[in-house]
Amino acid sequence: MDPAAELIDLLGASLVHTHPVDRLIYAKDSGVASGDPAIVVLPGSTEEVAAAVRIGVAAGMPIVARGAGTGLAGGAVPPPGSLLLVLTRMNEIHEVDEIGRTAWVGPGLVNLDLSEALADRGLEFAPDPASQQSSTIGGNVATNAGGPHCLAEGTTVAHILGVEMVTADGRIVILGGEAPDEPGYDLRGLIVGSEGTLGIVTRVLVRLIQRPPEIATMLIVFDDIHTAAQTVSDVIAAGLVPAALEMMDQPMIESVENFAHVGLPTDAAAVLIAEVVGTAEGTAVEAGEIREIADRNGAREIRTAATDEERALLWKGRKNAFGSIAQSAPDYYLSDTVVPRTRFVEVLDEIYAIAERDGLRLMNVFHAGDGNFHPLVSFDASEPGMTERVIGASHDMVLAAVAAGGTLSGEHGIGLEKRDLMHLVFTPQDLDAQARIRDAFDPEASLNPGKVLPDGARLSERPGR
Amino acid sequence: MTTLRTATLRLFERLRDESGDDEGRFVVAPASMEEAAGLLDVAAAEGLTVRFRGGGTHSGIGNPVTADLVITTSRLSSIIDWSPGDLTAVVGAGLTVDELEATLAEHRQTAVLPETAPGATVGGILSAGMSGYRRLRHGPTRDRVLQVTMATGYGSVVTGGSLVVKSSTGYGVPRLAVGSLGSLGMIGVVALRLLSRPLASATVAVADAPAALSEVYRPIAVLETSEGSFCYLAGTEEQLAAQTAGLAADGVPGLAWPEPIDHPIRLSVRVPPAAVPETVSLVRELDPVRWVAEHGVGVVTVGFEELEDSLFGDLRSWAVSRTGSVVVLEGADFIGDGVDPWGKPPSSIEIQRRIKDSFDPSGICNPGILPGGL
Ligand SMILES: Cc1cc2nc3c(=O)[nH]c(=O)nc-3n(C[C@H](O)[C@H](O)[C@H](O)COP(=O)(O)OP(=O)(O)OC[C@H]3O[C@@H](n4cnc5c(N)ncnc54)[C@H](O)[C@@H]3O)c2cc1C
Repeated sequence: MDPAAELIDLLGASLVHTHPVDRLIYAKDSGVASGDPAIVVLPGSTEEVAAAVRIGVAAGMPIVARGAGTGLAGGAVPPPGSLLLVLTRMNEIHEVDEIGRTAWVGPGLVNLDLSEALADRGLEFAPDPASQQSSTIGGNVATNAGGPHCLAEGTTVAHILGVEMVTADGRIVILGGEAPDEPGYDLRGLIVGSEGTLGIVTRVLVRLIQRPPEIATMLIVFDDIHTAAQTVSDVIAAGLVPAALEMMDQPMIESVENFAHVGLPTDAAAVLIAEVVGTAEGTAVEAGEIREIADRNGAREIRTAATDEERALLWKGRKNAFGSIAQSAPDYYLSDTVVPRTRFVEVLDEIYAIAERDGLRLMNVFHAGDGNFHPLVSFDASEPGMTERVIGASHDMVLAAVAAGGTLSGEHGIGLEKRDLMHLVFTPQDLDAQARIRDAFDPEASLNPGKVLPDGARLSERPGR
Repeated sequence: MTTLRTATLRLFERLRDESGDDEGRFVVAPASMEEAAGLLDVAAAEGLTVRFRGGGTHSGIGNPVTADLVITTSRLSSIIDWSPGDLTAVVGAGLTVDELEATLAEHRQTAVLPETAPGATVGGILSAGMSGYRRLRHGPTRDRVLQVTMATGYGSVVTGGSLVVKSSTGYGVPRLAVGSLGSLGMIGVVALRLLSRPLASATVAVADAPAALSEVYRPIAVLETSEGSFCYLAGTEEQLAAQTAGLAADGVPGLAWPEPIDHPIRLSVRVPPAAVPETVSLVRELDPVRWVAEHGVGVVTVGFEELEDSLFGDLRSWAVSRTGSVVVLEGADFIGDGVDPWGKPPSSIEIQRRIKDSFDPSGICNPGILPGGL
């Protein structure tokens, strides 16, 4: 029987799409690459995912999982002829344990919906990617997503205690769980960040944290981007761990302000958003120390949000950074690299130099406290040769980060975008070890083939073995 | 490869570890990852089984292993790179936790490794997957392991992860290595994320540990032990003053952790945090010498002089019924013949087996130590 017919038997015709228009809708994520799925399905349960995987594998189709498609690395781009599993219908909050501070949720649950549902219980899910209004927990798990508040709390991996997933042979396994330290290998830890290549996540056990009794949010304004960056380094080196420490440069401030009207000083060279949380006493001390460091570095102005509304406004500015770009240019290319925090200023200069060299319009919004860069180039792809130029410059920015001891991605993942750059940070032996992991989960390479690891990553067995 | 083998066979002679002979077995101490990989390559070719040794303080964990060869990390024990401004450190696996923490204290930093027996090495702690009491606030050890370099069972030097505090670059090889108990190869070099030491800390005796857990904002640890219940706090003086004001008793300055549990039988009961109070009552009925329950985490460590086989079985069944496990850290033999230190293997055992096979295709690295005899 043909797989589409089998899938219609399984899910009903309304949840199985093969029409070219539907396929086009799902051909891309939010990055630049595109593909072409043969069949798009929207399963509603773990069993349906397992059955769909079995049908797809039996038909020899590559299987690709997709959440909201906000990924920027091409991780959810379906290769031609693939079966795409869109998991957005699996968006339940199955159960919440308030004492243990955990919840089992569906992979299709939107990140922000989770924290909002928990607010009245005084709990929250710490990872807060800027895309949190649309990206899914499953996508967050698969990319090990980060967010402003991951500076103090760690990225997604620190907040995932267990997953239920469907394996490449269509079986259901549970990795990790409410009880800590499940005996055996920490396969949970491998699934986080695996970009849909090791299994399809069908339920997620998330760790929840107490909402802080007190939050102090500051906007610190600088006339020189170097002193802003130096302030970040000094805060980290002083051993302070603010809940968030974000930075925007002048072009980004201007773009955000024109879009969101939150009262940012558009003439400033850079602003920092620093947030400290905890008890009233603790936040007062930490905020004071940050202010002192900023003053020492010549900050022009320090505004402290006096009300929740003012705080929300500051964050609205930061979280609309990417959304604001659409008004200034038809296209943008957003890159993601990380460097050791002591090298931040130096790499920042190199990134600006690259953009200037290539005559590109560069804006920056950074998870500065983590050394995580998001250089963003806005451009018009209809200009001949422009896309190539932008990608070339972004590539050079990655090289600059790697040369400073950094790595390819802090939170967006490798996907297709950086697959062929993996050799910059890993030896052939390192990549071979990763390919062994992949083979152990998915010997036939059915799940999201062509992502993360470059072709030929698995070295042939050594002669004589 | 043949030249490497010959060279390594010579190394066998040269590298005999002076630091002690492990029950008369052949003990070697490589001084580089290449040497370690060379040793494993030869061992694989010759079919020699290998055990890895750090400080030897956690060697009771897992199924018993007999090995032809013992490889120690005693010569891979330096601080390779410490960048206080980045709050990261790269160290040899053979470095002791005490030595590392003493050095880091110079800049008021810590790796938050477990409060453990003296002599425990960083590599040993990682490979045993041990976390300390500060886990409630700072998360398990595995969350702070940024990068790991291993010599694999097939004789390669492999590095996974990245030397930055945040990465989504390739698979989480460090997370696989943590807790792998030397079954994939030897952990030789690790990069750790550090934290600043708090300016002040306090240990407060409390009457009701679960209540302290729900009332205090993010304590470092809440322990209920055979010697009483304690809430551990850290931060600035002002913060501590405010936090202790909410508790009935005054604190003593510093983090006064319980003495290590050191008895012939040592169990780690792992249950969902909400099931800790019930676990504590069950454990008490078994008449342990000492115990420490980590509220909010779900680990109860228990020490016994003796423990009847059937009572142990009951405890394990109960933990399993709560989706948890009981792991025998020490002294499975004292409980009874054939007591499995791990219990039932996890549902992912097939994948686990394939991982083991692909990193240790000849089955020479700590064979059988893991659940299901992997
Ligand atoms: C405006 C904007 C802002 C952003 N800000 C941030 C940010 O601050 N931090 C950050 O980390 N990222 C950010 N991103 C990137 C993106 O939102 C994240 O990578 C997010 O985690 C992707 O979630 P998603 O549901 O959209 O996943 P998708 O894009 O649908 O998929 C991403 C990857 O996950 C896999 N996948 C999805 N669901 C599953 C599943 N259930 N099982 C297995 N694999 C699965 C896919 O195959 C793919 O490889 C941003 C993106 C945009 C467009």
